[in-house]
Amino acid sequence: MVATFKRSWRIYGGMAAVVPKLFMAYSIWVWMELFVSIIAVVIFVAFWRAVYASTTTLGGLTLDQTLNYILLAQIFSDAANVSSVIYDFGAGLREGQIIHALLRPLDYQIALYVQNVVQLVINMILRIPLALFIWIVYGLTLPADPVIWGAFACSLLLGHAVLFCFDWILGCTAFYSTEIWGMSVVRYAVAMFFSGALIPLDMMPDWLRVIATILPFSQVVYLPVSLLSGITPVSDMPRIWLIQIGFLIVLFFLSRFIFRRAVRVITVQGG
Amino acid sequence: MPIIEANRLTKVYKIPEKEPGVAGAIKALFRPRFTSKPAVSDVSFVVEPGEIVGYIGVNGAGKSTTIKMLTGVLVPTSGEVRVIGRDPHRDRVANARDVGVVFGQRSQLWWDLALIESLMMVGRIYEVPEARFKQLIDEFSETLDLKDLLKIPIRNMSLGQKMRAELAATLIHEPKVVYLDEPTIGLDLLVKERIREFIKQVNREKETTVILTTHDLGDIEELCKRVLIIDNGGLIYDGPLATIKDRFGKYREITFETAAEVNGLEVPESADLLEKSERRLVLRFDRTKTSASRVAAAIMSQLEVCDLSLKEPDLSHIVKQIYHGGLKESTLPPVDAIMTPVLSPAGSGR
Repeated sequence: MVATFKRSWRIYGGMAAVVPKLFMAYSIWVWMELFVSIIAVVIFVAFWRAVYASTTTLGGLTLDQTLNYILLAQIFSDAANVSSVIYDFGAGLREGQIIHALLRPLDYQIALYVQNVVQLVINMILRIPLALFIWIVYGLTLPADPVIWGAFACSLLLGHAVLFCFDWILGCTAFYSTEIWGMSVVRYAVAMFFSGALIPLDMMPDWLRVIATILPFSQVVYLPVSLLSGITPVSDMPRIWLIQIGFLIVLFFLSRFIFRRAVRVITVQGG
Repeated sequence: MPIIEANRLTKVYKIPEKEPGVAGAIKALFRPRFTSKPAVSDVSFVVEPGEIVGYIGVNGAGKSTTIKMLTGVLVPTSGEVRVIGRDPHRDRVANARDVGVVFGQRSQLWWDLALIESLMMVGRIYEVPEARFKQLIDEFSETLDLKDLLKIPIRNMSLGQKMRAELAATLIHEPKVVYLDEPTIGLDLLVKERIREFIKQVNREKETTVILTTHDLGDIEELCKRVLIIDNGGLIYDGPLATIKDRFGKYREITFETAAEVNGLEVPESADLLEKSERRLVLRFDRTKTSASRVAAAIMSQLEVCDLSLKEPDLSHIVKQIYHGGLKESTLPPVDAIMTPVLSPAGSGR
């Protein structure tokens, strides 16, 4: 058992090396992104302060709670971005790279997942300047309890895995249609809103909140960040994890199934 | 015990049919129509371990489709294939460990990584033991001249360098079977030489079975003792290369444009008349027995020649000759006499 795990670790762990190196990331684009994120944060804070000008609570949250949440959400919303999965698929299909994936003794999905997780960690590290800015300029209320931080990290990873499987399914549709770019644009827009990066789910009308709960995007921003920002109490943790694990199991098997069908399209129709 | 067994492999593609224009697009949406395009029909052959087999045919003959079925990337419409005793499609991962593929126009290496890093990645994926990995890198650096390339990322390499890198990456896990799909396409002679030497060495030292798809006769001549020729989806020849070379490789065609009509022509020795029309004459001669200049001189002594052109036998030409051999009236022996009967799949009696 341990031997197999060690073996898999060596094989798939190697895939992490393929993710762009950290030092390559500190290019002009990273600074531009930082600049843009800072502007976005300033605008968001101003917006919410204006909204709270005429009321003390909204959806059960005070201005401070909301600001804390929004600021943290801005830092961690990267996780909800379009993962490389969709692009890798599209590009891979177009260039026939899928053949190489089929010819390697690797599970393509797991290999890409490992890469995505590493990318997530790198993205988080790259967000540190933004986090520092927010801390200094606006201040953040962060939990002192390490348990909450642990719960947050688990929740983030679980949510990320859920979203990965969801994007995997979307990516498989690339086998059936070439409209991958259009779809990723829609997915990005939908994710921005329903992930809770712009508005905490507590403030949404019930019917909208139901939709947001069903879609996987809220799992990767709202659920973990609401834990961290204190909106959701730690006692709710087990319930949240259960939801996420449930989602993960369903989407995982669904994504495996759909991928198998999609591969059959290639292997039978000869894409 | 054969290492590759192809048994009545058939692949029929279903191509969606769409009428042009908007009306056509809408129709196709509601009532999709398909045409069947047979790419490979009833191909059977057997390869023993350690063989280097050339697999040739004109573009569109069905080569890539066959190779894809052998590698498990494509599912045959009917028939079956076994590689090292496995179904390469069903036992994908196990098959992948024992097999290597080089696609001449596609690279499996990572664009931005230095070659040595790409190779390390491949080594990890295929679980090549570290000591063995180092040994092989040293070996390949020698035979493929990779020493200066190891630190360079693939995107900065020339075509010849890329191909050498590709070969190293494919053979680093010492597969039992290697499929080379157009490995020397677009390469200069020196690189081709080096690559051919490398393949020969690997085959010699490790008994690696090689299936080589190529348009380059030079590759075939250097490497293969046996060739399979596919035309229009069917196998039309499976046998020794020597036989083909003896019968077809030594002929050249020479075409004359004459000033006046051709009458009463005396065909020179060791040449055959292929075509005769008003002011055109096409002869074929055996270049082991005579030469272009002698034939030209013999013709020009009889007629006034305005222009002449010489055609070398290229692969498509030879394939066509073989294909038409049985049908055309010529002094060549009929195709049946040289065709090895395609091995009966059931005949292995296992």
